[in-house]
This record gives sequence, C-alpha cells and structure tokens, in this order.
Amino acid sequence: MRSVTINPAKMCQPIGAMYALFGVHAAVPLVHGSQGCTAYPMRMFNRHFGELVQVAVSSLGEDASVFGGKKNLVASIENIIARRHPALIGVITTCLSETIGDDIDGIIREGNFEESKVVPIHTPSYVGSHVTGYDNALKALVTSLSVEPDSDNAKLNILPGMVNPGDILEIKQMLDSMNVSHTILSDISETLNAPLMLPKPPFPRGGTSVGAIEDCANACGVISLCEHAGGSAAVFLKGKYGMAADTICPIGVANTDRFLDAVCDMTGAEIPYSLEQERGRLIDAMVDVHMKTCGKRAAIFADPDIALALAEFVTELGMEPVIVSSSTASRKFLQKAKSVTDGGEILNGRDLYELHRVVKDKEVDILFGNTKCTPIAKDEDIAFVRCGFPVYDRVGYHRYGIMGYHGGMYLTDMITNAILEWGER
Amino acid sequence: MPLTLLKSDKAIPEREKHTYIKAASENILPLSNVQTTPGDFTERGCTYAGCLGVVCGPIKDVIHLVHGPIGCAYWTWGGGTRQNLSDNPGFHRKYCFSTDMQEDNIIFGGEDKLYESILEAHEEFPEAKGVFVYATCAIGLIGDDLKGVCKRAEDEIGIRVIPFNCEGFRGCSQSLGHHIANDTLFERVVGTKEPEYLTDYDMNIIGDYNIQGDLWEIMPLFERMGIRILSTFTGNASVDDIAQAHRAKLNLMHCQRSTPYICKRMEEKYGIPVLKASLFGVEQTSKALRDVAAFFGLGDKAEEIIKEEVSKVAPKIEEYKTKFEGKRVFIYQGAPRAWHWVNMFRELGVETIAAATTFGHEDDYAKICERVNDGALVIDNPNSLELEEILTDLKPDLFISGLKEKYLSYKLGVPFINGHSYEKGPYAVYSGFLNFARDVEKTLFAPVWGLIRRGKDA
Repeated sequence: MRSVTINPAKMCQPIGAMYALFGVHAAVPLVHGSQGCTAYPMRMFNRHFGELVQVAVSSLGEDASVFGGKKNLVASIENIIARRHPALIGVITTCLSETIGDDIDGIIREGNFEESKVVPIHTPSYVGSHVTGYDNALKALVTSLSVEPDSDNAKLNILPGMVNPGDILEIKQMLDSMNVSHTILSDISETLNAPLMLPKPPFPRGGTSVGAIEDCANACGVISLCEHAGGSAAVFLKGKYGMAADTICPIGVANTDRFLDAVCDMTGAEIPYSLEQERGRLIDAMVDVHMKTCGKRAAIFADPDIALALAEFVTELGMEPVIVSSSTASRKFLQKAKSVTDGGEILNGRDLYELHRVVKDKEVDILFGNTKCTPIAKDEDIAFVRCGFPVYDRVGYHRYGIMGYHGGMYLTDMITNAILEWGER
Repeated sequence: MPLTLLKSDKAIPEREKHTYIKAASENILPLSNVQTTPGDFTERGCTYAGCLGVVCGPIKDVIHLVHGPIGCAYWTWGGGTRQNLSDNPGFHRKYCFSTDMQEDNIIFGGEDKLYESILEAHEEFPEAKGVFVYATCAIGLIGDDLKGVCKRAEDEIGIRVIPFNCEGFRGCSQSLGHHIANDTLFERVVGTKEPEYLTDYDMNIIGDYNIQGDLWEIMPLFERMGIRILSTFTGNASVDDIAQAHRAKLNLMHCQRSTPYICKRMEEKYGIPVLKASLFGVEQTSKALRDVAAFFGLGDKAEEIIKEEVSKVAPKIEEYKTKFEGKRVFIYQGAPRAWHWVNMFRELGVETIAAATTFGHEDDYAKICERVNDGALVIDNPNSLELEEILTDLKPDLFISGLKEKYLSYKLGVPFINGHSYEKGPYAVYSGFLNFARDVEKTLFAPVWGLIRRGKDA
C-alpha cells in the first residue's frame, strides 16, 4: 500500500464532532486548536448545507503550544458563556491540543463552569476520521450528560449519525406515524435547514435539548442508524442502563423493514397502514424502473454504514455492487462488506485515487459518492448519484432524505434519472 | 469619535482597541495583527492557510504535499473554496496529497512516511516540476526534520523538494503564512532559472492569484502596451516562471498584504523596483496603467488603451451609478481588498460605512482610514457576533465578505457578495468592474429580499 494519500476519502475527527454538536439546541462547538481548525471546516458546512455555522476556537498560538493551552481554553469558555449564554459547550480537541497533551477534562472540571454544561470531547485528528469524531462526540455527550433513569419515558433514542436533515425528517415521520415518541441524538433537521425569518434567533431553532440528552437513559431502547457514527453511544447506553440496542441503517426496502420491526419490538408499536402504503409505493417505483436498473454495475463510496446499506439497496434494484468503498477503515466494515458484495472489490478506507483506479478496472456504469467523486464520474463518463457529505457542486441535497420507504423512492428516482441522463453509453 | 466598544463585546473589553469610528481630525488606527481573543468566534484562519491556501496553492505544476493528519490537506484540495484558476486544472485543481499521519507516526515520528510519500507522489506524477512539503501543527511539535528529509528526497528524485514550516499555530492569523511562503519561495526558487531571452519591458505581476481569471483580464492590458509579463506570483504560475522572476525590470504588486516581503527581497538582492497598484475599478486601473507606462516610457500607449477601455465601460458604469446612488456597503475582506474596493464602490455611487480586515496590518488600516468618510466604522479581525451587531445596527444595503459570513448576512436579510472567491467574476480591471457591478445589482435588487417575513416567536 502507498504511504502517500492522493485525494483523501476522509476528513479528520473535529469536523465530525462539530456535526454532532450542531444538532444540540443552543450548543457551541469550541475547538481547542489553531484557527484553521475552525475556519476550514466551517466552510465545508456552509457549502453543503447553505447555512450559517458558528464555531469558536481557542486560537492556540506558539506560546500555548509550548506552555500548554489551559489559559486559552478557560478564557474561551468564559468568553463564550458571557457573550452567548449557550446551553452547552462542547470542547473539541485537535491534533495540536492532543499532541501538546492538554488535560481538557481536568481543566473543565476545575473550571467549575455553572451557567453552561461543558463537555470534553477527544478528537485527535491522527486517529480514524470525521466518522470517528462524530462517534466520539456523541459518546461524550451521552456519557457526560445522561442521568440515572428515574422513570420509563417510553421514548426511543435514535442516533442518526452523519446524515442529512432530510434523512432525519424521514425517520421522524415514520416514528410519528407509529405514535412512537423519540429523542434524536443529535438532531440537525432544523438547525442545518433553518428558515429565513426575521428577527434571526441567537441560536437556530430546533436541535436536541440538553434536557432530552440528560433524559435519554429513561428511554425504552436505542437504535443507531450508523454504527460507526453513534454506535459507541448506543453501546454505552446498553452497557450502563441495560437499554435494548440495535444498529440498522434504514436505506432500502429490507433495511427499512428491519428498522421498523426493531422499533415495534422495542416500543410495542405497530406498523400503520400508511407506512404499508408507503412501502408499496417504493416497490411500485422500483418495479417501474427495474428495466433501467437491473444489471447495472455500481461503485459505491460513502461513510461505512451508508456504503453498506446503499450496496444492499442497489442489489434490491437488481444492480451489482462491484465496488464498495468506505471513507473510513474499519474491521466491521470489511466483514459486512464481504456479505453484501458477491466477490466485488472492497476498499476499506482507501483514498479516492485508488477508487478511481478500481472504477476504471471494473467497468462501472454508475457511481455513488460525494462531490469529491464528481471528477471520477466525469473522467470515466459514467452515471453519477451524489450522496454523503460534502455535496456542494449541486444544491439542495441536504434537504431530501434517502432513508425509509419515502426516502427510498427519492433515491430510486435519482438513480434512474442519473442513468437516463448518462444515456446508457 | 474615538475607539469604541460594541455591545456584543462587553465581556471582552480588549476588543475596543480594534474598533474605531473614523474622524479625520484624529490620528488613530485600530489595533491589528495581534493574537485573537480566545473563543471570540473569530473568522480568522491559520498560518498554513496563508502559506498553502493563499500564496503557494495557485502554483500549478508542483505537488503540494501536506505533512500531517488528513484534515488540513482535505480543506485546501483544489484550492478549497478559492477559485485560483490555472491553465493546468486537470492536475492543479484535481489532486490532493497528504502523508495522513497516524497515531504511531505522531509518537515515533513521521520522517520515513514523509520520505516515502514524496517518492511515491513523484512516481505517480513524474511530470510535476517539484514537490512542496507543508508542515501542519502536529509536525512542529514532534520535531520531524523536514529540511533533512526534503534534501534526501530531492537528491533521490532530482526535482526540487521544498519544505515550508507553516504550522497553523505560528503567528496570529494567515498573515505569517504569507511571509513564510514569500521567504521560502524567494530563497529556494527565485533566481534558479534564466529566461530564454530578455526584453526591456519585462515585468512581474506579484500578488494576484487569478481568482476566477482576474489575471487573464489584467495581463492583456499590459501586453497591449508592449510589456512582457515575465512571471506572475502566483496566479496560474509555473514554478519555472517564479524561478526566472529575478530578471524583471519591475515588480507590480497587487495584493500588498501577502507579497510585500518577496518584493522587498527582490528589490534588495536584484534591484527590482516595486510599483504598488489597485487593479479594481476604472480610476485605480487607469492609474496603474499610467504608472507602469511612465516607468517604461510608454505614456502614449497607456492613454490609448485607457481611452478605448474606458469608452467601453463608462456608459454602463454611469447607469449602475444612477441605480446604486445612496446605497451603503460594509466591506470585510482579508486585507487589501477592503481598501481597494472603497474607491471602486465610490465610482458606483456606493458609500462604505464600515470596513474590516481579517489579517490586515497598520498600513492596511491607514489606507482604509484615508479612503472612508468620517463616521465609518473600521474594525480589525471582527468576530461573528460583532458582524451580526454591525449588520443589524448599521443596516448596510450590502455586505461584501467571504463564504463563512455569507449565510450570516443572508439570515439577517442583508444582500451579499462573496469578495473572496467572487460570485461570477473576474472582477479585476475594466471588464471585471462590469461583472462586479452586475453582481452588486443582482443581489441589491433580488425580489426575494422583499418576501422575507418577520416570525412571531423569535
């Protein structure tokens, strides 16, 4: 394997932690690092979501890098509390502060900050990827904030992972139609798809409240949609509170069926006729286009759980997932990928330069990936379906979900239209 | 009016020194180029951003290899959000190189991985004319011998391999990164190649990054005068162009914040005089053409070109001016464009009521204060909460800034232009001025602003 990475498939941990914190109401991500560690990721959010994001940074300079960043961190927290009165501050570390070795847990504990909750989140950039950062952030939130259960609130915890606001809306609509009350940890469906209404609120409306996170131990169960981005929090909830836990990424027919069955098992709810109808509409849509989709050779690049679920869905559409490529290397991904591809190529955390090489080799018809994959599709003159994060060479992808039966319809249409536009060359 | 403290800054009174309401009778400048107040929601970037993101990134035919964990490379891939166009986009804007340092590399050192990475990148892209290696934060702390590794790799592959010690934590903003890039390129590249031939009219354009093709509008104006552009620093530049820059008769400096360092060193070592220019708007562009023509003794030619170009744009500019008269703008840019554009807006009938820079120094603020009217707010390194307060309280008709601030402006219902990477540029010289004015018109008069409602619960 090459030492050099050419066209990386992954970003680093801190951006994943920011992603998680944007879904908490009135939360401020505070990055303990240098200023580029906020200025750059913020632009990635701006481009993908078309939204304002506000991230604070402790602006570590040369002094702090030699003598430690405690002074900067304490001053940052005090300034943020005094000026914005957030419900929560998530302190996100970087390669810089982790290599310096700042004891952020100790600093936060000693600081005794009262007005806002302050949660330490360790996200060393030299371990894992953005997905790991999301996972670590969510685990830190749940570990630091959840309190011992005192009642059974009969809610279901959903840990969506790094998905779009549109995906979360799909999940919520399904659960609402089943009368299942739920806590989404964390919920970017409104915060990163915010209305333009004046006056602008100090924090975007929506997001999971700190109270709801504190209360999450009272839930009857937890489902993480992306095991690699939220799974650790689910394992914690299961281990500490004995909560029923499952992990299912509801993309495609069978995965959504499994998701709804798990919801029923955990909550005692039943699947309403309206969802049966929606399932029927998805099947109808798939039948309508199966002559276009069957037999197509697909290459899928995404974060690990999304990549696996997409591979299963394209198989349902009669396609052959000849390449399944994960942004992030993981043993679990490798194992599962073997079962979802029938002898297809598995790229486990390899870069996009390698993906491009394999796409050339495998006579691919259709590629699934984020905007960084666009040049591959153009060079190879194949159909292209944009998905994942970041997508910024087209607008609106964050608004629409690909999860659930309804999201599956949207995805089916997107796939077919991509094939039609490509013209089956 | 003296220095002032905004309402949102009550908890951080040190911001008062950075916030000035201009009065001609005073001799005050806001404090600049110092460390950011921690946790103040700064819009600033880092030294690495100034070095690779701004100055080196546009160089189109070298491998830009980022030594560190993966994020830093990802952000600058293809120029990031910057639109530094080149005529080699299939390489320069397409590929991103990183050593992707892992935990064991941080513990045991990353020198071997760096060495291997340089060799492999060269093997994949043997046509690249060099490898530039950028150190990111963690590298400065673990103490990899960048210089030694690059020398060893250079001996092995036979093309220049140049280290840049631009760790993000150095300095207080992007600004130090510009300086590091200038010094390194001067010491390692400038003067390493002789031009095939020389003319008496050889000139470098320093400090233009060809954003959305600015240089491709700028260069023909000078070429029509009989000037040869020997080298551009660094828009659409080949590393070989920069290598022969030392033989120019004149350096024309556009971005006067990110490139005065190399101009000064070229003046000291090679005796190349420097001419400062603003290549935005009619008056400033015409002045630059006249100044250059005067230097080379080509006065009449400049006047011919100016006459022709002005006649093409003047009637349209007059139309725009009638439409924009009385409008008020808040300009927030990296540094020089904040003052380049005060005059350009004046030509459009738009008054600058507030101006700010991310990483300006005293000389930038002196130029801003010279240009804006009394009562204008001049603020250094404004943070997100200050920007919101200014947009809300001063109610400019237009905000011109960068992507991070764009959606703040939109969410407050304030028309906006992206001055960093442009909306639909180029914006430079006469032709670009019309693009600029067209974009200002589009956003000022977009019907959607009139449809915004006030919510009841906010």
